[in-house]
Amino acid sequence: MNPLTRHIVDFAYFLKTSAGYQKKRRFFYNVLENDEYQYKKYFDIFMMLLIFSSVSILIYGVKRDVPEALGTFNSYIISFIFFIEYMLRLWISSSVSKVIIHQDEYSDLLGRDFDILFVSKRVFHDKLQYILSVKAIIDFLAIVPFFHELRLLRVFVLFRVFKLFRYTRSFQTFSSVLVSKRFEFFTLGMFASIVVFVSSVLIYVMEATNPSSPIDTLYEAFYWSIVTISTVGYGDVVAVSPEGQFVAILVIFAGIAVLAFTTSLFVSAFTEKIEDIKESKTIQDIMKLNQIYLICGYENIAREVAKKLLKDNLNVLVIDSSPKRIEDAKKDSLHALNYNPGNMESYKKLNINLSTQVKAILCLQEDDVANVYTALTVRSIDKDVKIMSLLMNKVHRNKLTNSGVNEILYDKEFVGLIAREYVGQPVAFEAIYTIRSEYTNIVMHEIVVTERISQTISTLKDLQNIKYRVVLLGVYKKKNKRFFFNPIESTLLEAGDYLLVIGNYMFIKEFTKFLSTK
Amino acid sequence: MNISSALVFGNNEYGHEIAKNVTHKYNSITLFSLEEIEKDHNSPFNLEEFDLSEDWDELSEKYDMDSSIIFCAINDEAKNIFLTISLRSSFKDVTIIALAKNNEDANKLKMAGASKVIPIVETTANIITDMLKKPIITEVLHNILYEESNLKIVQVTLKSVDAFTGLYPAEIDWSRKYGVLVLTIVHEDDSHEFIYTSKTKHNYLKSGDVLIVAGYELDLQNFKRSIGGE
Repeated sequence: MNPLTRHIVDFAYFLKTSAGYQKKRRFFYNVLENDEYQYKKYFDIFMMLLIFSSVSILIYGVKRDVPEALGTFNSYIISFIFFIEYMLRLWISSSVSKVIIHQDEYSDLLGRDFDILFVSKRVFHDKLQYILSVKAIIDFLAIVPFFHELRLLRVFVLFRVFKLFRYTRSFQTFSSVLVSKRFEFFTLGMFASIVVFVSSVLIYVMEATNPSSPIDTLYEAFYWSIVTISTVGYGDVVAVSPEGQFVAILVIFAGIAVLAFTTSLFVSAFTEKIEDIKESKTIQDIMKLNQIYLICGYENIAREVAKKLLKDNLNVLVIDSSPKRIEDAKKDSLHALNYNPGNMESYKKLNINLSTQVKAILCLQEDDVANVYTALTVRSIDKDVKIMSLLMNKVHRNKLTNSGVNEILYDKEFVGLIAREYVGQPVAFEAIYTIRSEYTNIVMHEIVVTERISQTISTLKDLQNIKYRVVLLGVYKKKNKRFFFNPIESTLLEAGDYLLVIGNYMFIKEFTKFLSTK
Repeated sequence: MNISSALVFGNNEYGHEIAKNVTHKYNSITLFSLEEIEKDHNSPFNLEEFDLSEDWDELSEKYDMDSSIIFCAINDEAKNIFLTISLRSSFKDVTIIALAKNNEDANKLKMAGASKVIPIVETTANIITDMLKKPIITEVLHNILYEESNLKIVQVTLKSVDAFTGLYPAEIDWSRKYGVLVLTIVHEDDSHEFIYTSKTKHNYLKSGDVLIVAGYELDLQNFKRSIGGE
């Protein structure tokens, strides 16, 4: 390896291991390309403002003189910013150091000499591929700085508008929908081109020799053909001979066919893609959420649970393999995706962090096999996320426990316990049921003792709950995980403890406010 | 005779759980099955077959219906409603607790004469959401209501109100004086009033009122003794 090549390879390894370089590269990648990066939207908005100001200046300058400062801003400053952006995109489009290192390792493995020429070709090919992409071409045309000097080239400013595609996701969605039908659009384009070509030639042959016909040149014939096939029909250029008019009739029929075909293509493309668009929109919405309750399965109990959680403005996401149940969930105003809860792929597609974004996963499918499978899938992805699961048949309790479920919900057991309490203390049961019922104003509530509360209210003596007409049922001490019923006034309050209170929800709200602001 | 019995209709998991949880309260537990069953001599419960066309008046020959309770827990909703209405027409005063799949069926069961209906879906969903939203309260209440704990919630019927003459319920320091917390007052017309509502702040206690009180077993006994309640 010659010294120059040695230096190039060493430099490539240096860049790969340089934390500063990689950090900068990652930062620019996030700002320019990563839709999930929280600051990307500010960059996009800034670039859109530049585009709109540039177009505004162009419109202003059509009939007026643009002030010199504005002209300089438009021609040079905006162009310079776009140029910087273009270069940064070119930089992050492919990694030169990666190609060099890969080739070095490959050569080393096979005992060959490092081929700098091959690497250069590879790098050039990668960069050229980016340069020739549609987006890069639009970017390039938008930075051409001299167009202001030539009047015709002013319209190149409009290429800046095309740059909006980069910054607005709905444009990208629109283009991806059209791309999905490219074969059909190509066929339509071919058909229309042939009709235009044939009709242009025909009308030229029929009309060009006729002195009363406005069609004298092939260009005028082409113009007539386009106007007619598009069903616009300005009427400024018309066929006058009977032969020409016959051609016009044929072109009009072809035009109707082209128009109908185009419309149906657009409609079918969007109809086919609408579910995907909705799904990606739901995923984008979900990715922004925290403290999500992920409900797997949307049957009877799940539906009720989701309804109650939603009522308290909590974040709920439903996944179910049944399209009908997902439709039901959507009708109930829930975020819902037609994913199989037992499939690992479903959680990858969701693109959320189960540990940090999900409060609990509720396996509420009314089928023990499905719940065990779902719990195992979730547990294999995340060891810590809280999983609660319905149990339909008690013989499967152990299987749910072994699959990593934290809380098992056995409805038959609940019914048994309720029956037990009812036969023991029917009036007390009704009273507690009434207190817990969401249809009364009386609620049981737990108030977490924050650092601030514990600093201002050190003991229960200062609590003033009676003043706020709130019953203090007791204190749950976080330290030893013990509940102290009706504690004495000298009980110390520590951060993390919970006050369990009963009262009118308005009074509890006032009481909580008092505690937090005292 | 006066032997208290729990008659559980529905030889299914719901029926078994109910039977298991009420054994401490009744002298005999009988599970009634719509399907044919083989007698299991190891079963702690009596097992009997029945069909919906039976003459239920015969039950009173075998059981003391005045001290019995009936649970209707058949899986088939329509049959459960039919059973409830049949039993109510035969026994006007017996307590019938029926299971419903949802609130819609719960209304029908109430119309059929059930004293208390447990809607399974709503009840389970309530418990799940309580566990999610208020885990500590749920745990504490579960321990108080369902587990073996010294802490209880009980109902105390006031025999006399001499101890509270001239005092409104909200003014009494129940906690310091008796070591208990009075949560609600149930009046003779079965209406519930939370201890700190405006109504209880301006109404004296009357004999016959029922206090729903939370406290430790010993404190509750002392409280009952000192106010002459039962």
